[in-house]
Amino acid sequence: MLHIDGNGRRLTLAGRFTIYHVAELLAYLRGLELAPMLEIDLSGVTDFDSAGVQLLLALQREQQQHGRALRLLQHSAAVLDVFTLYELSAHFGDPVLLPAGGGA
Amino acid sequence: MNLPLQAVMQTFCIEARERIAELEAGLLTLEQAPSDTEALSAVFRAAHTIKGSAGMLGLDAVSAFTHGFEDVLDALRTGARRFEHRLGELLLLAADHLALLLDAAEAGEVPDAALQAAGTALLQALHEEPQASAVPALPPPLAPAPMPVERERPAAETGGPEFWHLSVRFGPDALRNGFDPLGCLRYLHTLGRVLRVVTLTDALPDWAGFDAETCFLGFEIDLDSSHERETIAATFEFVADDCTLHILPPNSQAAQYLDLIRALPEDDLSIGEILVRSGCLSRIELEQGLRAQAQAAAGSKRLGELLVDRHCVDADVVRAALERQAHGRTRRTAEAHTLRVQAPRLDELIERIGELVTVGAGATLLARELGLPALDELATTLNRLVSGIRDNALQLRMVPIGETFARFPRVVRDLGQELGKDIDLELCGEDTELDKAIVEPLVDPLMHLVRNAVDHGIEPLAVRRARGKPGVGRVRLSARHEGANMLIEVADDGGGLDGERIRSKAVAAGLIGAGEHLDAQGLARLIFAPGLSTRDTVTDVSGRGVGLEVVQRNIEALRGSIEIESESGAGTPVRLRLPLTLAIIDGFLIRCAGTSFVLPLDQVEECLDFDVAALHAPPRQLDLRGRPLPLIRLHEFFGLGTPCGRRASVVVVRCGERRAGLLVDELLGEFQTVIKPLGPLFEHLRALGGTTILGSGEVALIVDVPALFALAAARTPPASSLPAPAKLACA
Amino acid sequence: MQALKPSAGDSAARASRQYLTFTVAGEAYAFGIARIREIIEYGRLTPIPLMPAFVRGVINLRGRVLPVIDLAARFGGPPGETTRRSCIVVVEADADADRGGTDLGFVVDTVSEVLEIPLERIEPPPAFGQHIRPDFIEGMARLDERFVVILDEHRVLSIPEMAQLSRLTQGAAA
Repeated sequence: MLHIDGNGRRLTLAGRFTIYHVAELLAYLRGLELAPMLEIDLSGVTDFDSAGVQLLLALQREQQQHGRALRLLQHSAAVLDVFTLYELSAHFGDPVLLPAGGGA
Repeated sequence: MNLPLQAVMQTFCIEARERIAELEAGLLTLEQAPSDTEALSAVFRAAHTIKGSAGMLGLDAVSAFTHGFEDVLDALRTGARRFEHRLGELLLLAADHLALLLDAAEAGEVPDAALQAAGTALLQALHEEPQASAVPALPPPLAPAPMPVERERPAAETGGPEFWHLSVRFGPDALRNGFDPLGCLRYLHTLGRVLRVVTLTDALPDWAGFDAETCFLGFEIDLDSSHERETIAATFEFVADDCTLHILPPNSQAAQYLDLIRALPEDDLSIGEILVRSGCLSRIELEQGLRAQAQAAAGSKRLGELLVDRHCVDADVVRAALERQAHGRTRRTAEAHTLRVQAPRLDELIERIGELVTVGAGATLLARELGLPALDELATTLNRLVSGIRDNALQLRMVPIGETFARFPRVVRDLGQELGKDIDLELCGEDTELDKAIVEPLVDPLMHLVRNAVDHGIEPLAVRRARGKPGVGRVRLSARHEGANMLIEVADDGGGLDGERIRSKAVAAGLIGAGEHLDAQGLARLIFAPGLSTRDTVTDVSGRGVGLEVVQRNIEALRGSIEIESESGAGTPVRLRLPLTLAIIDGFLIRCAGTSFVLPLDQVEECLDFDVAALHAPPRQLDLRGRPLPLIRLHEFFGLGTPCGRRASVVVVRCGERRAGLLVDELLGEFQTVIKPLGPLFEHLRALGGTTILGSGEVALIVDVPALFALAAARTPPASSLPAPAKLACA
Repeated sequence: MQALKPSAGDSAARASRQYLTFTVAGEAYAFGIARIREIIEYGRLTPIPLMPAFVRGVINLRGRVLPVIDLAARFGGPPGETTRRSCIVVVEADADADRGGTDLGFVVDTVSEVLEIPLERIEPPPAFGQHIRPDFIEGMARLDERFVVILDEHRVLSIPEMAQLSRLTQGAAA
């Protein structure tokens, strides 16, 4: 299960953020009016895969193309593992090891 | 027929017709120069292309006929047969037949028995030429080029990076098929040290087109490993169907990276990025290169050169990357060259831009009313941009007139043969472009004029000899731009208009009185009158006295005009003056009785002040610098009541050599006018050429000056009853 | 003829059609709503010279230039006077017309209401005794104690016929 909670400004994802649930999440996101700074809390993500990565990449680009930003918060271990393998931490540019607060 | 196939058919037919035109042009060239191998190759290529495409679409009748046609061409190419007049004739007929087969195919019909019989007869005649027995067996036509085979890379040498480089792109179904690239990455970690992973997002579509379950990922990986190539490649074995993989071994040379860069699907990457992704150079080196470039004078050195200067990369590699960028660019221009767009889509775009122009004008108006300079400036910039876009869009609709001219060599040739005249057609200015919307309705009038020149213009051979002219007559079809107009001229070196003959015919037809005087222009204009033909016998070709009247009507419908110059014995140049586009004109805005009118700016000569109060009744004629100028009072002319203001203005408008003054209330200045047609309800309304929407949203009416003149002339009483002209001061 | 447009779930509606009713020169008329696009306030009309009186002019409707017909004049009376309640009814091009189909507007004095008129209440046009051309009338509807003239939209707004009449005006002007 993937639990989605929040709005176009702040979203909390928990559970399996994988190929099995990305379509559902995408539909949910498309229904939102995305804020200039969209924050996604990933602390509860237990499973994460390439489909999840892609969705975040696409979302980030969509935000950037409209002069908006995406900030990922509280990456769970599952997310960090994938980001490390794909060397994406720098790409998203969010503070991943320390709790948020340093600012992007 | 399902839709995509229908679209393919349509494209095929358009292209096949172009090929037939090429084929015909080549055959005509061959008629003049039978040994022109280039023309022969062009003809062969054209036929071959048609045959191939027709075969693919299952148009058996077309492909079979073209096959027989091609046999003969091939015999010509190999020298087994010689091109001679009779064969040329037959080949031209075969081209015509091909066009008919195409028509049938487009209509989705199988050629009927008559058409089939004609085709068989033609092919038989083509093959029955005396040399036919010498035709060798047909060699397989143009064997397809062999598929490029992937080259084996040379064994690794010393130098170059000391790691493996992997480029992998996953197919769209990888994720759906239950495969995750993550697995590969994890496995690679077990084979050695993964030095670097670049995750490529280039293939990710826009958010709107993004599908969460389709895989768009690709990776560039640097791997330090002592394993064999097979072992590393085996990482991707399970996903082999769903990915493309390139592996470069350690110490690969610049040449190999060069190959890789060319093999990568990503386009348009900055060269630094390509090099970073290829692992030839680090991001730090790239950033240093960028910084150095920023410090150097702008544009003095390209990044690639800088990097080489700083010994970061091999010059060969930079060249390859640059080549690749250039390749990407030229490929795009080549594609642009053949882009086909449905004409209605283009019209829709131009319509929209027209509305944009109107809204832009509205914004300017509002900014000035509100007295906001910043907004005014913004609106001005907006209008500049919009008019740029407008020009671009109109440009899209411009086509070279050459496509229209291309049909005439055949027409002149056939017609000349029919009439026993030897005629040379000279084409000039084929690259001159004009609006597609004008090109199409122009074909018929041009056809009339060219046929007329051949039939009426060029004298019979005996007459030419008697007059000491060369036996071969000349017809010249030329086009050029002149300001906002296109000039097309049809000229011949024939006998010119016979003034006396026209006069007597016109008198006989009751078009003019027996004693009426006519100047040369007036006489020339008479030939456009309905029911006048100066030929004594009515030939098949022309001479029914209806053609030229139609020409005039068609040209006027395009807002163009016709001029004729003719002196007896010196040929008859007919000049067509046409606007380059029908969609937008530069206009001059005036007001009269509360309604706004637009005059085409190129027909406005000058504006004059006019004091209404100084005269009881405005005269019918003005004295403009010693010359009489007819005055048209627009209120009265259009039945809009009487002018109310004390002061009024006169706009001097011109059409050809004729001038008139228009009495109006107010001059509002120049206005970029998007023409909107008036529609079928107003089809009989002369004097107005359309409407346009002003910035304020008001509809203004566009005056058709030539039609206005004609209508005014029809209403004017005879010259003798005119009052004395009023003196006029220039404003 | 226009096909009947039955509205689902109402069996009585099968035998009826919807009409917009309005007044022109004091008389009540009805016009099938199928072709009506919208009703707009009267205003900003540009007269077109050299056209017969029944062509009131053209308007700019969101970037399109549409002709506007003066129904009072089209019915043979003097051109209608414009009041604050005057409206322009915009109708779609006549799909049945062979040629000359175009959207256009016509001026009415007041718009009344949209009525559902059962076909049984519609009677054939009388042969004479009406103040407008009989061929303009599709039928007469009996409503309460009054009669409403149902217009034959194809004939009243026939572009070819109106264009032909304009040609005659042109001939007179020249």
